[in-house]
Amino acid sequence: MSRVSIIALVAFLALAVLVLTMHTHSAQRLQARALQLVRPLHTTTSGLGQSLGALGNGLKSLEETENENKILVVENQKLRARNQMLDDLEADNNSLRQALDFKKRSQFNLLPARIIARSSTAWWSNVQIDRGEQDGLDSDMPVVTDIGLVGKTTTVAANTAYVLLVTDENCKVAAYVEGTKEKGIVNGERSSVNVQPNLNLSYLSKSASLQPGQKVFSSGVSGGVFPYNLLLGTVKEFQVRALDAHAVVVPAVDVSKLENVFVVLPERGKGGGGERRTGGDASRNVPTAPAASTPSTRR
Amino acid sequence: MTAAFFAVVLAVDLLAVVCQAYCQPIARFGGATVLMFPVILAYGSLALPFAGTLALAFCTGLLWDALTIQILQPGVYLQQLPVEEARLGWSIVLFGLLAVLTHGLRPLFLRGRWDLHCIASGVCTVVILAAQYTMLTFVRGGLILPRDLAARVFLPGFFAMVLSPFVYLGFYVVASLLNYPVRLEEDRRRGQPERL
Repeated sequence: MSRVSIIALVAFLALAVLVLTMHTHSAQRLQARALQLVRPLHTTTSGLGQSLGALGNGLKSLEETENENKILVVENQKLRARNQMLDDLEADNNSLRQALDFKKRSQFNLLPARIIARSSTAWWSNVQIDRGEQDGLDSDMPVVTDIGLVGKTTTVAANTAYVLLVTDENCKVAAYVEGTKEKGIVNGERSSVNVQPNLNLSYLSKSASLQPGQKVFSSGVSGGVFPYNLLLGTVKEFQVRALDAHAVVVPAVDVSKLENVFVVLPERGKGGGGERRTGGDASRNVPTAPAASTPSTRR
Repeated sequence: MTAAFFAVVLAVDLLAVVCQAYCQPIARFGGATVLMFPVILAYGSLALPFAGTLALAFCTGLLWDALTIQILQPGVYLQQLPVEEARLGWSIVLFGLLAVLTHGLRPLFLRGRWDLHCIASGVCTVVILAAQYTMLTFVRGGLILPRDLAARVFLPGFFAMVLSPFVYLGFYVVASLLNYPVRLEEDRRRGQPERL
């Protein structure tokens, strides 16, 4: 073995040990820098892909576009009116809560974000979004769509962040089943044949009796990440095991087709993320938290 | 010339790691993914000198881990530190080991045995995926062997073997342009002038 090879081997081992013994915070900073470094490439490629997709979709007749625009204008007006009504209701609700000495219902600040890259491995399930620290993001912030929960942020760089999807085994969400008092933990599968994997709802009581089609919502543990009442999915299968009961849940959000998401920012002046609202009714069937509260979006 | 060729291989390899984000699992093949970087890593290990092989393995492992390792907040205990699912840098050791073993075949590769790159690409891909899954099982606990596991581990190896001749050909052209002696002994046997 030549002297150069020996020096190279020693240098390799020394650097490998240096990286392996790195403090977790340093590792996270390194990951954030790497994400920031590759962001321009991901943004450009993702933008190019969307433009090409839009080109294909954009080949519509003027008449079709006009009709679509008319429908959207009407829908927009309807939603504005409904939003105004919900604002009034929320104000009423909060004043009544105050009168009853209940905690004020929190408002969500929703930050729109675009997915610029997806998990490149066979085992992990995450996506990269085009928002980061500069937009007010931090680790462990819930990410949602208008349908339901998508996941939570993990490593956050200046202009980009990783979102751990709800379909990943590591993403665990405290959940309840609509119309029952059953509570459990929802998490993803380690590996699935489907591109759209199912979720597992575990630690249900042995006396539970769930029916396919029942909706599963986040139960918003105090001090936890996810707010109360975000739709997670619907029960597909249910079985009672030796110590507990278990259900297979079809995710509400098709994570394989996601393009745009919303990051739930904490209420201004508050540090905490998700917290169960005191006085909330667990049996209420509100599809998603953003729909139940008043989302204020900023771009 | 070695430095220039090393720079090209390294650049292509790192680009392959970054662009891996656009190679999504293919549902039709049981969720198998096309992994490009092990093919380039295998090529680099066969074509580059020992020091270059180690440098390539280090850079690939570091970037791969930096882009894929999950670092999670503990959530339950407020003062607890974030948790790495696997230590950032474990891929450096894995890729380094694979690169050194592959590098042992270099004398045969220099005799023009391009098929070694094909085999090494497949083996490296399978070993990387199998090691990732084993690590995942070790960390998360519970030995789960889903139906599609074999497809997810072995099919990417097959894809890598199919892709490897194209990668070999591409780098052969680059090596020729840069006068880098990839097939030194084969050229000598055929009486062609050595490219140094």
